[in-house]
Amino acid sequence: MNGYKINSNLSWWIIGILSFSIILFRILFFSRESYLFFIINDLIVIPLIVITILVIIRKIKRSEAHPTALVLNSGIIVAFAFLVLLFSEPILSSFSINTAVLKLNPGLFQNIILSLYSLMFIAITSFWFATIKELYFYKRYRSNHIYFQLMIIFIVLTSVTSFALKGGQYNYINDTFKIITSILIVFNSLKISWIAFVSKKEKISLLLQSIIIAILFSLNLANINSSSFGGKILADFSPSFYSFYSLILLYGVIYFSVLFFTTLFHIPTAEAYDRKAKEVSSLQYFSKLINQVLDFDDLADTITDLVTKVSGADSAWMIIENNNEPKTIANKNIAYIDADLINNYLLENGLCGKISETKICSLTKFTDRTKLSEKFSSVAITPLKGIDNQKRYLIAARKNDLLFFEEDKTAINTFADYASVAIENSLLLEQSIEKQRLEKELDVARDIQKKILPEKNPEVNNLSISSFFIPAFEVGGDYYDFFEISKNKLGFIIADVSGKGISAAFIMAEVKGIFNSLSRMIETPKQILEKANEILLQRLNKRSFVSALYGIIDSEKEELTFARAGHCPALLVRENKIQSFKPFGIGLGLANNSDFNNHLEEIKINLMDKDTLIFYTDGITEAKNEKLEDFGEERFSDILVENSDKNVNEIADEVIKEVSLFSSSHHQYDDITLIILKWNKKNNSNGV
Amino acid sequence: MADFNTSIKEQGDVSIINLKGYLDAHTAPMLENNFVNLISKNKFKIVVDFKELAYISSAGLGVFMAYVEEIRQNKGDIKLSGMSEKVYNIFDLLGFPLLYEIFNSEEEAIKKFSEK
Repeated sequence: MNGYKINSNLSWWIIGILSFSIILFRILFFSRESYLFFIINDLIVIPLIVITILVIIRKIKRSEAHPTALVLNSGIIVAFAFLVLLFSEPILSSFSINTAVLKLNPGLFQNIILSLYSLMFIAITSFWFATIKELYFYKRYRSNHIYFQLMIIFIVLTSVTSFALKGGQYNYINDTFKIITSILIVFNSLKISWIAFVSKKEKISLLLQSIIIAILFSLNLANINSSSFGGKILADFSPSFYSFYSLILLYGVIYFSVLFFTTLFHIPTAEAYDRKAKEVSSLQYFSKLINQVLDFDDLADTITDLVTKVSGADSAWMIIENNNEPKTIANKNIAYIDADLINNYLLENGLCGKISETKICSLTKFTDRTKLSEKFSSVAITPLKGIDNQKRYLIAARKNDLLFFEEDKTAINTFADYASVAIENSLLLEQSIEKQRLEKELDVARDIQKKILPEKNPEVNNLSISSFFIPAFEVGGDYYDFFEISKNKLGFIIADVSGKGISAAFIMAEVKGIFNSLSRMIETPKQILEKANEILLQRLNKRSFVSALYGIIDSEKEELTFARAGHCPALLVRENKIQSFKPFGIGLGLANNSDFNNHLEEIKINLMDKDTLIFYTDGITEAKNEKLEDFGEERFSDILVENSDKNVNEIADEVIKEVSLFSSSHHQYDDITLIILKWNKKNNSNGV
Repeated sequence: MADFNTSIKEQGDVSIINLKGYLDAHTAPMLENNFVNLISKNKFKIVVDFKELAYISSAGLGVFMAYVEEIRQNKGDIKLSGMSEKVYNIFDLLGFPLLYEIFNSEEEAIKKFSEK
């Protein structure tokens, strides 16, 4: 930065020194006939022009001026130059400067005035040249600038030769250079690449500016011929500069004329460019959406905010339609009351027709429009797709008689597509979180169930016991347990709690507690179930109940006593024949005590050698195959009879195998519990 | 999940809920809504028709238990009709026939209301 400052200061010093030298030189020497005078004169002027141009270019580059600003600045300066040229004769004549003076040796004062006048034009010309050069290079991607460099060379050649070959027989050389320069100027003016990057609004003002500037340049060019006063002063000051000045004026005329036409031809496509630019910027908005999917409400806010930017709308809101009732879930720049009024107009009255894609609806026929706190005039409504079946819409609105056009649809449509994806992701995420939560809950339920069920079967004389339990994915609420009441008495329960999942698991835990204590206190199955019903009626909510079968095996008396409260029947296989025992009994928690007690029957079975007793839950009989047929009691009975000679574990294995085969193509919907007891007559065991 | 739906029709002061498909823990809330609606309209004479019901789980049974008390307190009743053998067996096993009146057809159930 420091180095640059010195450099910059140095340039100013050089400019100052050169300007001072030229004035001093012109005051000291006056011999317009001598070549030497003009050579020395131009040897000072040319570096002055070059360094001035360089300084100005550097200034323009540092300010990073937009081309439209550069055009405007040249316009102001060309207008100024025009006025100066127009009024230079009357003003300068007040300093007694006229064309006659130029021929003679002007006085000190006049000399200074004339020099300053010319220096001012040097500054102006330098600025134009610098501007044109910057405009030429702005947004030009091609690195080959050969024609521009060539043009500069020919400008210099034309300028220099204009003096050196003046009036002589070699004048045609200067004319040739002039023609080549002019061609190159035209050529270099043709490609104005920066115009495409200007917005439509700017293009329109540019159109006006360029035509005015082109006209002013033409007028200046016309005013500067060698017979005009201004032209004479400049030609006298330096023939090279005068020539350079004319060429730059020519360049100005051509460049700004071309600019005018280029702009004119670009105007029809200006909107397309504007929209493209907007689309590009909305890409950035879309990426914002991606980060918002974690929270649906935030996402809805962002979408509504962005749609106003994307579509250039004044307001926007998002609605969700539940049972044909639209509800605003996010809003931007609009009151809820206004949004609700418009929602009703659009959706409930169906005046916007069926909305399956982006639609533009005018509000001019909206009767309640006067009720709106702001004058909304046109809305664009677009449906948002989601994974759930909820209908969501995004609405953008414009105020004060501004309307939406078909072109706006594209922008809104594209945005709606992205927004839909974001919404879908957000909902999917929410669902998967919910699913994880449910799975966790089921894990807990299964864990509870596992802890509630007995770890191992009790050991009882003369009785072989097999118990089998397969949990369903959604914990079905099966429960079984054994209670060693006394040396000779084994109590057992098999139960099925209504409902599934964690709530079933909790009831199961409660049931375990109840039977655990009741089995110690009460002697008979009927009484135990009656008491359990009494407790569960109070404890359970109305819709929950428990089916249960409670039995006691008395190994001393060789008998089974049991009662059934709404549970699956007890089965007995004796001598290859199966019997089903289904004593009366209502499920626990369904009926009041008197109804329950009156309808509860207790059964006693005297056990014989090789009697096989089977207790189960409906998970077995209701196991389903692919045709949704039940496994059924018949199939179950057949297997039990067929395998009754085997030991309890083998029988259980057979049942489970068959059930699994049967329902292999259908998921296990309910828990499966199977308890098989086999009585081996006392004498036999004693004998072993 | 298996399909389930309900439809309600009125015959005199009796409301008939027709069940169709699979009634389990997942679909039970739909039937609950029907009961809640009828009760809110003070319609306590209800026949539930099972003709088109394929399956009922324990959670489905629980729905009847949840509302029957309130309905009976209001001098109404829930009567059941048109059960297939399979569905009836499920009700029977739990002792529901002792708690609810079960009829072969919807008409018989409606008639029973008018007799009272």
